[in-house]
Amino acid sequence: MRKIIKNSKYPGFVLQCNEQLVLDSGKTLDEFEIAYQTYGELNDNKSNAIFVCHALTGDQFPAEKNPITKKTGWWDLMIGPEKTIDTNKYFVICSNVLGGCVGTTGPNEINPKTNKIYGIEFPTITIQDMVRVQKILVDELKIDKLLSVIGGSMGSMQVLQWAATYPKSLRSIISIAGALKHSAQNIAFDEAGRQSIMLDPNWKKGNYIIEDTKPENGLSVARMIAHITYLSDAAFQKKFGRNLQEKQDLSFGFDIDFQVESYLRYQGKSFVDRFDANSYLYMTRAMDYFDVSEQLVKNKESIIENKIRFLVLSFTSDWLFPTKESRGIVSLLNSIGSLVSSAEVVSDRGHDSFLLDEPQLFKITSGFLKGIKL
Amino acid sequence: MRNDYKIILDIIPNGSKVLDIGCSSGELLSLLNKKDDVHTQGVEINQEEVVKCLENGLDVVQGDINQILEDFPHNQFDYCILTQTIQTVNAPDKLLNLLKKVGKNIIISFDNSNYYKKVFNFSVRGSFDNLLEKSEGDQWFNTQNIHPCSIKDFTVLAKKVGFTINETYDVRKNKKFIFPKSPSNIFCNEVLFNLST
Repeated sequence: MRKIIKNSKYPGFVLQCNEQLVLDSGKTLDEFEIAYQTYGELNDNKSNAIFVCHALTGDQFPAEKNPITKKTGWWDLMIGPEKTIDTNKYFVICSNVLGGCVGTTGPNEINPKTNKIYGIEFPTITIQDMVRVQKILVDELKIDKLLSVIGGSMGSMQVLQWAATYPKSLRSIISIAGALKHSAQNIAFDEAGRQSIMLDPNWKKGNYIIEDTKPENGLSVARMIAHITYLSDAAFQKKFGRNLQEKQDLSFGFDIDFQVESYLRYQGKSFVDRFDANSYLYMTRAMDYFDVSEQLVKNKESIIENKIRFLVLSFTSDWLFPTKESRGIVSLLNSIGSLVSSAEVVSDRGHDSFLLDEPQLFKITSGFLKGIKL
Repeated sequence: MRNDYKIILDIIPNGSKVLDIGCSSGELLSLLNKKDDVHTQGVEINQEEVVKCLENGLDVVQGDINQILEDFPHNQFDYCILTQTIQTVNAPDKLLNLLKKVGKNIIISFDNSNYYKKVFNFSVRGSFDNLLEKSEGDQWFNTQNIHPCSIKDFTVLAKKVGFTINETYDVRKNKKFIFPKSPSNIFCNEVLFNLST
């Protein structure tokens, strides 16, 4: 049984599913919930729906003010009235991913079997599991064909997975700063982050919520490591250089001397307040396991038959998901004979560029959307 | 409509898969899409042009020709089109070899450097700039057209790479000619080759 209700914890809605979900791992969830938010209006023939997939630390509130953090939504520059993804024209759906920590079933929710918080009893999930749940939501909203599925970074993985798993249910996808599979270097960064969390004594083998503690140090170091990979040498140099933090002289100690240290520590600290450590483990693992190449090739007939249009975007200074990876996507899509467009946006701000004010990104994206008739 | 476009539309049959290299704002691609069941793909290095293509619902990959062609799978396209571009690339021979892998038929147009008016101007005025006639301000030291060639030059290279020359057109006159039987190497200003692999 499925039921959509108003979200009691956060703004937006929840789809409650009282049914078994079989995951890629073979394990199952006996019931699950999907927290989501929508922007704009669905038109009469339901042809204007765009599904937006969030990245690792995003949530279901890309546009307007985030009701939890009270900060501007992570993609408010992109989504809104008369913006690139124009909510006067399109109906935008965004849901918290499976395994997330903002209302969708994840490791910090209650396990109905034991009535205890899942913790690391939560089954390992994949990007495809996340997309399966999103498809259930789209079905429940009675939308046969999405106009587009759009996302950057981990969002791009979901986007490509949508095309591979449900080619009949969408007309186009926009993959931004993504890859067909997670690279060895990226898995390595994820592992460093996970180890940092799991080696924090407050992690308590994943039972920190029950034991009323929090692996704050571990999670914050994980975030610091990750945050470095989101920027670029040029971005760090431009923002901080070797400037000292509120001092004239070096301290000859290990307190904060440089502005960049202060910035990183702040990034780590503020992350702890809004993100769950176990969720971080599960989601990075899902990214590590991601490799969609074979499935895209396997489903090529359906992809071609449904005339899915792909737009693949990358940024010149992104070294986490470099243009080389996007070229790999384009090459594979070409080899299966699909309709593909691509562009590389010049930016010195690294992987994070996809979230920032990058006029070319907006221009290319809106151009592509304009080319798809409602 | 541009003469070379007219010729190309006549050459390409319905149902073809076509790659337009250096497709600009996608004018030719849009014309080709009006034919039955033609699948088009563009390649363009200028991002502003890419945006124009996208707005018109065209599929276009942004980037450097050589790199993109290397990424394309073999025998992917029935026709590859290269208008007014071959003279601008670093290694025309390398590009032709790549095109041979990607496409079954290749359509190439360029300005004939041995066109008598140009040669005359070159010899009388004494400046290489007279051999170039592209954009304003184009001079020997800053021109994009770094590899000007004649119909004869190109014919030799195309055969060396292993292409069969099916047809040759005088673009300005919109007329076929047979080289080297006709004196086209002197009298044809803009040439279009229809090659197959």
